[in-house]
Amino acid sequence: MPLTLRQRLSPVRFLRGEGPEVGPVELRQRRVFILPTCQGLLFAVILLLMLISSINYDASLGYALTFLLAALSVVAMLHTYRNLLGLRVDIGPTEPVFCGETLRVPVTLENPAGQTRFAVSLHFVEPKAEPAKVLCDVPANGWVGVGLPLPAKRRGRHALPRITLATVFPLGLFRAWAYVEFDARVLIYPRPARATPLPRDSAWQADLSGDLGQGADDFAGLRNYQPGDAPGHVHWKTLARGQGLYTKQFGGDRAEELWLDWQATAGGIEARLSLLTRWVLDADMAHYRYGLRLPDQTLPLAHEPQQRRRCLKALALFNGAASP
Amino acid sequence: MEHLRQALAWRWRQVERPQLWLLAGLALALLPHVGRLPWLLILPAVLLLGWRLGFELKLLRLPPQTLRWLLVGLALAATWASYHTFIGRQAGVALLVIMLCLKLMEMDKPRDVAIVIGLSYFVVITVFLFDQSLLMGGYMLLVVTLLTTALTAFSRVSATVPESANLRLTATLLAQAVPLALLLFMLFPRIPGPLWHLPSDAGSAGTGLSDTMSPGNISRLSDNDAVAFRVRFAGEIPPQDKLYWRGLALTHFDGRTWHNPNEARRGHGVSHSVDYSAIGEPVSYTLTLEPHQRHWLFALDMPASAPLGSIVSADGEIIARNSVKTLRRYTLRSYTDYRLDAVSAPRDFAYLRLPPDTAPRARILAQQLRAEASDDADYLQRVLDFIRQQPFYYTRRPPLLLDDPVDGFLFDSRRGFCEHYASAFTVLMRAAGLPARVMTGYQGGEDNPLGDYFIVRQSDAHAWSEVWLRGRGWVRVDPTAVIPPGRIENPADLARIDPAYAARTREAPDWAKRLWRKVGFGWDRVNNTWNQWIIGYDQGAQRTFLSRLGLENVDWQRMVGLLFGGLALVVAVIALQLFRRRPVRRDAVGEAYARFCRKLARRGLPRKPAEGAQDYSQRVIPRRPELAAQIQHITLLYQRLRYARTTPRDGLRHLRQAVRRFRP
Repeated sequence: MPLTLRQRLSPVRFLRGEGPEVGPVELRQRRVFILPTCQGLLFAVILLLMLISSINYDASLGYALTFLLAALSVVAMLHTYRNLLGLRVDIGPTEPVFCGETLRVPVTLENPAGQTRFAVSLHFVEPKAEPAKVLCDVPANGWVGVGLPLPAKRRGRHALPRITLATVFPLGLFRAWAYVEFDARVLIYPRPARATPLPRDSAWQADLSGDLGQGADDFAGLRNYQPGDAPGHVHWKTLARGQGLYTKQFGGDRAEELWLDWQATAGGIEARLSLLTRWVLDADMAHYRYGLRLPDQTLPLAHEPQQRRRCLKALALFNGAASP
Repeated sequence: MEHLRQALAWRWRQVERPQLWLLAGLALALLPHVGRLPWLLILPAVLLLGWRLGFELKLLRLPPQTLRWLLVGLALAATWASYHTFIGRQAGVALLVIMLCLKLMEMDKPRDVAIVIGLSYFVVITVFLFDQSLLMGGYMLLVVTLLTTALTAFSRVSATVPESANLRLTATLLAQAVPLALLLFMLFPRIPGPLWHLPSDAGSAGTGLSDTMSPGNISRLSDNDAVAFRVRFAGEIPPQDKLYWRGLALTHFDGRTWHNPNEARRGHGVSHSVDYSAIGEPVSYTLTLEPHQRHWLFALDMPASAPLGSIVSADGEIIARNSVKTLRRYTLRSYTDYRLDAVSAPRDFAYLRLPPDTAPRARILAQQLRAEASDDADYLQRVLDFIRQQPFYYTRRPPLLLDDPVDGFLFDSRRGFCEHYASAFTVLMRAAGLPARVMTGYQGGEDNPLGDYFIVRQSDAHAWSEVWLRGRGWVRVDPTAVIPPGRIENPADLARIDPAYAARTREAPDWAKRLWRKVGFGWDRVNNTWNQWIIGYDQGAQRTFLSRLGLENVDWQRMVGLLFGGLALVVAVIALQLFRRRPVRRDAVGEAYARFCRKLARRGLPRKPAEGAQDYSQRVIPRRPELAAQIQHITLLYQRLRYARTTPRDGLRHLRQAVRRFRP
């Protein structure tokens, strides 16, 4: 997409990049910037001192050396620019994580050129915090994949922040960089609360007393695996011990309903969401059939694998302001 | 012993290579300074370098902060103790070197590394302040390569790249930088320095001719073959006996030493107008003077004017405003026949003064000869006859004269070289009331048969006299020249004093000596070219160069325009070469693999349309077991190039190579 002159010269591009786009993004001339590094400025000061010495002492070889180094830095500038130019950047799908954990965003760098790109650094542009950088070499006519770390700070669905690709190769005197912002969103689940017992109602307590006839999801025993058994019911532990494939059998013919209810929690919105998240995880681990009741929506009882994902997503996206 | 060797080898492999490049570059950059700086500073510098190397080998720890500051204090003290100043060339270099080595003790961040490498480049330039020879230039190019390789190695992260790759990269960068540097060198407007007055170096001895002369002390110049200056004549070369290169006039004699108290010698003073009239044709020449750290310049007796940036003293010497610290080139016109101060007798009685108690016998001789002579010119001739007729010998190793050096030489030893003759002759002149002074400089020189220029060496240093005669002014008299060849001890001196003898002997040496001489002349010619084109490239040379390109009278604005235009052009060419999009074959890996399949198909083993690479190789290998290794290798490479998370380095090249070598 050609840019108008006004757009081309706009400082916004220089500071923020091009805006969200769909990958793969090729780093063309118009989005690769280059400026001297601190080391480069220091080098320039030393070159100036060298020039003054050469003039003062009429040292012709001093001039020659000064000019050689100046020329070297100009050539290095071109090489630094080329080290980034033409790279193709793309991202892969990101698995949701819990708040407080670190997202690993899979970024692939493809190098269509015949020379290796050395020491390309990538990081997410984050306000305040020192960004975690990943350094990699991209082989000629090849690609490289990196998991770019992004700390998950707030729950919810967020746009992926800008990625800065930068390089100072080969002399460290110049830094070429480019911003890439992908039109992608990442989902961050609420932070699970510390281990808290699941909500107990009368049915549950009856369960504990050992009423096998009613406790539908209670573990009853193992039987030989038969094709068609749900993978969630396969008893992996015996398989791991090398004792063969078994399927867990559960007693009762009716599943116990466990409702994880917003009303059963107390405290601020985030504390409640944290607790519900913990319960969803625990209930899922224990293979209960569970449902989730939030002020604005209700997820029916289920125990298929998608239930956990569904519940966590609902908790991640819960809008506190909309609730009564 | 073996154990120790292995342990060291292991530690050696642990050293980070970038650090090694840096330390090697720095050590080699410091090497030329070793003879120049006092041991008080060189020794700590070497120890600090060693300390850093020990740290890199994980044998030593770096000093703590307090010790570092203590070392800085000690370094300052040592510099002060050596020079009593921190500014000036010598002291400044010493301070730079020692502080740079101290910086090695706290070099852990990239910023520190950048400072150390930048200052190491600066050390290279300080070497050029002392020595700009061709060999030093070449050596320093090596140092710059090492330092730049350190920069590339530090900026490259993956340790898997072999070190030769860093060196190759540096070579590429330097090769691309050279055209730009050349353009800058040629077109960057040269500013005649210095920008500010340079403090003169404390304790730096000059080379070459001294500004005092003590006959009776052994001359240190006679055996020195170093080049004093080179001359390129515009026209015909004057005969050898006219080649007197005038240097200094020594007017004051204290009985043992000749000197000149004239303050103009320090470079400040006004130009004196000398009453001078030329006779005959002028000789034009360009003289390239090797740096000798003093203020005086040399010119063929007698120059018509002083070159830019210099003055003419009352004694007709040429004194430069700034001491000759680097190669200095000037073009002059001289008249070998001239009249100097012919009209009025010199007013300065210094030319007549002799210390009261010196040379009593010489004074008697002078009075005798003057009484016999009809006039001053006749007296002068009689003194020369005295030297010719009496058994005076020319020797480089005269006996030491302890009493009165003039009387001792004239009447007892009668052995000496130019300084003795010039001194005694001048004393005899003054004793008879003739104004006279000693001139020092060079005599003769050697034509380089492999180049169109003359070489004047330190061994050509010479002393002669100038006598003022009524009606003729100052007349040059060389008393050494009247000694008959039979009384010259050394054939080399004979060749120098008697050109005819030199011509006879030149053919004589055997072929090895001839070859050696030829090599010497060849090397000198290379050096001269280096001097003329690189070292002596100044404002004047720049103008000449541009006018040869057809650009007459280029002012500096146009030069800057030319420079930037040229730079832009060269940068564009380099960029074009770097950024050119090479036509990329979309599927080079697939093509290479297809070629492999075609080769097998020709042997009756075509790949089925739906067959994967793995299945294909498993089907083919049992049929051609002798090719198993090759087929497996190619299949594995292909799979890795296609499906691996990270492409193997040089994988495509290896695949192509393997397919090319595959001959089923």
